[in-house]
Amino acid sequence: MYRRVAPSLLALALVTGCTGPTRTTSNDGRPPGGTLVIAEQADIGHLISVVSESAADGDIDSNISFPIVDSDFDCSLKKLPGIAKSWEWSDDGKVLSMTLRDDITFSDGVPVTAKDIKFTYDLIADPKVASPRLSYIERMVPGERPKVIDDTHIEWHFTEAYDRDTQMAHASAVSVLPEHILGKADRATLRGNPYDKDPLATGPFKLASYEPNTRIVLEPNDKFTGPDEYKPHLDRVIFSIIPEYSTRLIELQNGDVDLMQGITVSDADMLREKHPQIRLVRRGWRSMDYVAWNETKPMFQDKRVRKALAMAVDIDDMISKVLTSKTGESYSKRAIGTVTPALCGVYNDQIKPLSYNQEQAKKLLADAGWVDRDGDGFLDKDGKKFEFTLSTNTGNRRRADTAILIQAYLEKIGVRVDIEKQESNTFFDNLRKKDYEAALSGWSAGLFVDPSTIWHSDVTCGPDAAPDCKARKYEFNFVGYSNPEADELMQEGLRTPEPEKSAPIWKHLQQVIYDDQPYLFLWWMDEIVGVSDRFEDTQIDVLSPIDHLYKWRVPADKIKYQTH
Amino acid sequence: MARYILRKLLLAIPLIIGVVTIIFFLVELSPGNVADKFFTPDMTPDVRALIVHKYGLDQPMMVRYLLMLKNLATFDFGVSMVQERPVFDVIMQALPNTLLLSTVTLIVIFPTGILLGTLQGVRQGSVSDTGISLTSLFFYSMPSFWLALMLQLLFTLHWHILPTSGLHDTVMYDFMSPTQKLVDRAEHLILPGIAMGLASAAGTARYMRSSLLEVIRQDYIRTARAKGLPERTVIGKHAVRNALLPIITLMGLSLPFLFSGSVLIEYIFAWPGMGRLIVNAIFSQDTPLIIGCFFVFTLVVVAGNLLADIAYAMVDPRIQYD
Repeated sequence: MYRRVAPSLLALALVTGCTGPTRTTSNDGRPPGGTLVIAEQADIGHLISVVSESAADGDIDSNISFPIVDSDFDCSLKKLPGIAKSWEWSDDGKVLSMTLRDDITFSDGVPVTAKDIKFTYDLIADPKVASPRLSYIERMVPGERPKVIDDTHIEWHFTEAYDRDTQMAHASAVSVLPEHILGKADRATLRGNPYDKDPLATGPFKLASYEPNTRIVLEPNDKFTGPDEYKPHLDRVIFSIIPEYSTRLIELQNGDVDLMQGITVSDADMLREKHPQIRLVRRGWRSMDYVAWNETKPMFQDKRVRKALAMAVDIDDMISKVLTSKTGESYSKRAIGTVTPALCGVYNDQIKPLSYNQEQAKKLLADAGWVDRDGDGFLDKDGKKFEFTLSTNTGNRRRADTAILIQAYLEKIGVRVDIEKQESNTFFDNLRKKDYEAALSGWSAGLFVDPSTIWHSDVTCGPDAAPDCKARKYEFNFVGYSNPEADELMQEGLRTPEPEKSAPIWKHLQQVIYDDQPYLFLWWMDEIVGVSDRFEDTQIDVLSPIDHLYKWRVPADKIKYQTH
Repeated sequence: MARYILRKLLLAIPLIIGVVTIIFFLVELSPGNVADKFFTPDMTPDVRALIVHKYGLDQPMMVRYLLMLKNLATFDFGVSMVQERPVFDVIMQALPNTLLLSTVTLIVIFPTGILLGTLQGVRQGSVSDTGISLTSLFFYSMPSFWLALMLQLLFTLHWHILPTSGLHDTVMYDFMSPTQKLVDRAEHLILPGIAMGLASAAGTARYMRSSLLEVIRQDYIRTARAKGLPERTVIGKHAVRNALLPIITLMGLSLPFLFSGSVLIEYIFAWPGMGRLIVNAIFSQDTPLIIGCFFVFTLVVVAGNLLADIAYAMVDPRIQYD
């Protein structure tokens, strides 16, 4: 009987398989259109721009909204006209005046005016909303953020001038919300407002449908009144929400999805070999890994020890083991700090990374008093063995492998390392409380330079301080790094609005920090994006792989889905 | 019977309070809270303070616990902290999908399991019995996520005859006729249904086999055979019906699992059901949503047990409740 059951199941599958949707690659002669299917790992959180938070939110928002100021990335964020067609700064850098286009409308036909921008920033400022963009208005003058002159003119008044790119982002990096729709909305439950999942569009695309945890469909916004070059070529863009990595990868391979982010190095090898129709694109230096040495623990307080530990680990070899493809392509670059190499104007490329030299490392440790006195193979000092726990978070294969490699390198110079994997929430909680010895963790790149949150030594806010303690901003200084010279440089850099003048300060700061070796800086990593080669004019850059979907095209003979 | 049901339902109240209490304190005692996602260097700490205040997380734990009990007493599940929508609405969005997949899984588990078990029981010791036993054990000991992956690799990547994941076709669904839509939806249920149910079906077959073997040795079966009833009637009418009793308990007990959805299967097949909902709620520390989900699960456990009891009484006249 088992034999009879099995074939019948198979037959059912075959029959239903044949009656599925018909897909054809032929073209009916209409102008190029086409459908792009993007695999998203997680569902969107919120589309109301002042409360949106995740990468998926940004992916949708950036395509359905016409930005106040558009951006492009080339060594730093470059600002291009958007709703604001021009802008100028006052001499003291505290007032930014913008002239707005008068032809942009929401998709219900109502024009976007200066009042809508003001309304959007009022929402950010309202504590009931608890907007994650709160830092945008911290250094703006209340009541003049922005000051509405008339429908097409606004002025942003800042309490002080700071890094100009950041100032500009604070005055523009949020999509405009319609006051005529949300003006009377309950602000305490703004995230639950129906508009959140059914927003109006001001940009090239509009949200056509949203099915929670399943898919999001964008179609060209036929009411778009902005510049012609923003008009999309594609007919539809579908974000298919697939939480499991291996499922996304299967769908990329069998052509069900056209774009997938975050492909691992080994899978990139497989795709290159078996699926030449999938183009592999790198997005440079988006995130880094490091080992934090907790300087509140006596063993890591000596700079010589931290330097020795860095020299005892062969980072280039680890890169070749963990982050290099079979074809020899390396998807990472040794890190020398927390400023991403993508910010090429600020990144200090003169810093020479410490070279791997275990003999030198042993010598440095001996200078610091760590010698193997009892002959057990491990260094000791004052009767204590040199051993520590290296903690990292669970669920990250690369970090797990890296931890083991570090353990092996350090054992060779007589340092004993225990590896402990902690659930992510617990891990970050321990980092924050400085309740660890060494921690293998990472940062993703910020596209603005403000190293102070990570390196500033102001620790007046202990774990028990009031939640609004200002220096709490610095609780990302997980290692307890403290160097007056670095503090001074950070303050000076943050006070300098002109990027060309602050760049040398930031470069100097990177050298100062690298010399102190507060982290074992490991590497900056590329993100690998797989995209079907049917698509042309794809703009996949550091900023986002899918910010500018209106530029994407499919040649007529490569259109896959006939949806008309 | 009515009194029995009433008593069971009343007994459920302390059970629910107990479950909710344990869950509440488990969430409370785990590190972090819902505001932690705003713990990033480019965000001012004020955001976290505002979020904490907004959802009353700055109040003492006991105050919040009692408030939650009070709200639950009036079936008010509150508002999800992450989505700022009523917990009830959020659950109702995921529950139908889980129920759909569960129903298919039930069909895979029980009719298949019972059928296979019966065949084995009737032909005990035959080649087909051993064959089915071996195959059952093979699938029974297979982790469902691995089976799911293998199914995907075979049926979608290698042969490309079934869809890989999701509720329906991502691109073409909007352009299908109602019949095509129905077929498409059915296709999308096949792999997750098999992945979720196959192991349990194998288990059920084992239960059914041993149960049937026990029944077949009973005197009344010998009597039935002795009075010349055809074998088909003996097995179909007398043996199988009695052998089904333990399977009914099994069905009742498997109900909660079917409502809670399978986290792994829902992840792998991108199925928007309860399993993914609860996991996301736990990771984001969305207490009202977590409590709401577990409230529903507990109700289903109680209902499942009750249904098993009632079904028991219905198929077995010897059992009476009072």
